[in-house]
Amino acid sequence: MKKYLSILSMQIINNIAYPGDFLGRSISIATFIFIFAGLWGTTFMIANTDVINGLTFPNMVWYFMMAETLELGRPRINRTISEQVKNGEVAYILNKPYNFLLYHFSAGLGDGAVRMTLNLIVGSIVAWILAGAPPPLLGWLMAFVTLIGAWILHFCFMALIGLAAFVVEETNSFELIYQKLVFILGGFLFPIDMFPTWLQNISYALPFPYMMYAPARLFVKPDVDLFWRMLGGQVFWVAVFVFLLAFVYQRSEKYLTVNGG
Amino acid sequence: MSSIEVNNLQKTFQTKRKAAGMRGSLRALFKPEYTSIEAVRGLSFHMEAGELLGFIGPNGAGKSTTIKILTGILHPSSGDAKVLGFVPWKERQKLAYHIGTVFGQRPQLWYHLPAIDTFMLFGKIYELDDRETKKRIAFLSEAFEIQDLLETPVRKLSLGQRMRCEVAASLLHRPKLLLLDEPSIGLDVVAKQHIRDAIKRMAQEENVGVLLTSHDAGDLEALCRRVIIVNHGQIVYEDKVSNLKRKFLTRKMVEVRYAEEVSPNFSIDGVEILKVGSYGVKLRFDTTKTPVDQVMSHLSQAGELVDITVSDPPLEEVIAKIYQDAQPGMRT
Amino acid sequence: MRQVKFILALWKANIQAAMEFRAAFFTQVIFMMINNGVYFIFWVLYFDKFNAVRGWDINTMMLLFGIAASAWGIGAFFFGNFISLAEVIVGGRLDYYLSLPRPVLLHVLASKSIGSGMGDLIYGIGSFMLSGYFTPDGTLRFLLGVFAGVCIFIGFLVIVQSLSFWLGNTVALSQFALSALLTFSLYPSVLFDATTKFILLTIIPAALIGTIPAEFVREFSWQSAIQMVSGSLVFLFLSIFIFKLGLKRYESGSAIQVEV
Repeated sequence: MKKYLSILSMQIINNIAYPGDFLGRSISIATFIFIFAGLWGTTFMIANTDVINGLTFPNMVWYFMMAETLELGRPRINRTISEQVKNGEVAYILNKPYNFLLYHFSAGLGDGAVRMTLNLIVGSIVAWILAGAPPPLLGWLMAFVTLIGAWILHFCFMALIGLAAFVVEETNSFELIYQKLVFILGGFLFPIDMFPTWLQNISYALPFPYMMYAPARLFVKPDVDLFWRMLGGQVFWVAVFVFLLAFVYQRSEKYLTVNGG
Repeated sequence: MSSIEVNNLQKTFQTKRKAAGMRGSLRALFKPEYTSIEAVRGLSFHMEAGELLGFIGPNGAGKSTTIKILTGILHPSSGDAKVLGFVPWKERQKLAYHIGTVFGQRPQLWYHLPAIDTFMLFGKIYELDDRETKKRIAFLSEAFEIQDLLETPVRKLSLGQRMRCEVAASLLHRPKLLLLDEPSIGLDVVAKQHIRDAIKRMAQEENVGVLLTSHDAGDLEALCRRVIIVNHGQIVYEDKVSNLKRKFLTRKMVEVRYAEEVSPNFSIDGVEILKVGSYGVKLRFDTTKTPVDQVMSHLSQAGELVDITVSDPPLEEVIAKIYQDAQPGMRT
Repeated sequence: MRQVKFILALWKANIQAAMEFRAAFFTQVIFMMINNGVYFIFWVLYFDKFNAVRGWDINTMMLLFGIAASAWGIGAFFFGNFISLAEVIVGGRLDYYLSLPRPVLLHVLASKSIGSGMGDLIYGIGSFMLSGYFTPDGTLRFLLGVFAGVCIFIGFLVIVQSLSFWLGNTVALSQFALSALLTFSLYPSVLFDATTKFILLTIIPAALIGTIPAEFVREFSWQSAIQMVSGSLVFLFLSIFIFKLGLKRYESGSAIQVEV
């Protein structure tokens, strides 16, 4: 366990070492929230209403702030894994005294922790200016709990995409599609509350809402019922994907020992 | 007629200093400190058309900077230069039609394409017509023995094969002057020899002038007639290669290996023994003081030779010696 | 004319290189089209719910995506180095282009092709054809809009990345500038207040890539036409000027070894 903690802290230090990047990212976050607030500010004004499908304008801005936190802080390990699979490095890593997946989990978490903290700070300032006071404490709590499950689900997806390099040459394209599915079906750009019913049904049958919508929605409108439903969904999908990932990983490991990388 | 004329050339780089770590980065961001590096300091020389000139010196001596100024890649801080009658940094494009360049550490061939495709592209870049390009490729591929390599993607070639293709590509447009920056860097002995032979042959057949930088004295001996040695951005020596050899490349390092064990108190008159192992000896001697055949016969008498390597002293040592000879007062 | 032949030869070499990895190339093209399509679902959902915002409806949005994606696609596929120019400068890779007898900037830009750009281009053209403005004069206006978009994309990024000649490594800054430009270009600028609109016409010229060309295709207006043409010319000439100015300070990676 200790070695994974040190991997994690290494990654955090690595991330803080470049002040230029830090500044660039802060401005990016601010820009995204600004655009989003522009879109919804105008929309509420033209619709001449305070509430759309139960969400107010401040709700929307803070919703997006939390969603953006997760989007920027989710693991981005698929490229590294693909590279390691393609250039055969993975065969050497398998012999090292740590678990390949746990290694990437710790590294991704260290990286994500820095990005998420930065986003929460800068994002909250911008959201506060544009939309007023933040959600209540209960919202923060529910968001943090569901962030964990969401993050693990993202990790599983990224790892599976990375390991796909065993079978196909080009895996970066899969990441694009996965990201867009989260953007739409996960409710990143458009809260699921505003979907037509048929699309809501499709969306809830898939893992994506639990990867994005859950923390963001509970953050702005904490709701005990919804919390347990979302948490239940997360537990279910995490079980499914961890099982799937373990299975795929074992197959790849066997493939490696037979074919020698 | 001279092909290169350089007068009091200077190039100074401004570099941002940055201390290591986070604090250093922050400080550099808000209060940058600059250091000047004088890469070239008042260089003057000339080169005749068709001459084979070696431009050597240790790493960081200013060789590459000079070549980059002469091709128009860098603007000098001050001074004049004319290459084939053009001022390189003002008439870069016109000049480029008449010179060929090879930068050993910066490949020009497209990595994923077979060399022939880059050759054809270069034909277009230099505005040759396709028939002419093909004829020229056929000729060059024979001269550089690359006929069998042309269709292979460059990424699959060995470094030596790739380098031969690089030099061939630089000759595609029949340049009058070839500027080679470290063409043999990283190559093994055989590949080096191969590439030297091909360059030599092209220089003779087409009367191409060659300016070559290297930090390997071997390139110089094999290719050049005249040599300029630079160090810290200045010329420290300028003469015929034969004179340089006679004066400074006289100390040879020899390593031999024997089939049977050698006695530990191995010695030859006039030869400095550096190391005696159980099967081998490493020694150094000065060819002007101790005749080569005398050393060789001693060595072969000592036992059955299985291997022998003769090498020149490293360039740094030669330069140190040049300094000593030029300024005897500085000797300590 | 001479330069046209030269550019054609470069594109040919790019395509030959892409065909060395054709499976990856076609995957990228197809996935990029799907990617854009899925992203556009957001606007389908949005306009399904709100019908129109300040004169913008789903058809105008399709025009905007059509123009922005085509412009980006042409830039990425035919002038692929326009997003990695800073790395080329800082890494000393301009040496190669400077030792050949051709215009350096043009040569650098056209020497790389990003395969997925073809996917964007095809998507963009498709989006335009389905937008309901696919008429002869609409097509002419579309072509002008795309041309302006390509000029602005490339001009803006060349300017930002040419700062590398003076400031050293600006890769992070360039990436930020790129993401800001791209993100803003995909939203109609009617959403924003006057100050922001002004910024989107000048410092981050995203409106000149998306909003203004889209409104111009929807309905001809002299104002948009002049904005587009003058904007593209200004950015194009400014980028060439700044790049040339920077070239005099080019250090070819010679001085970067020094770290104290």
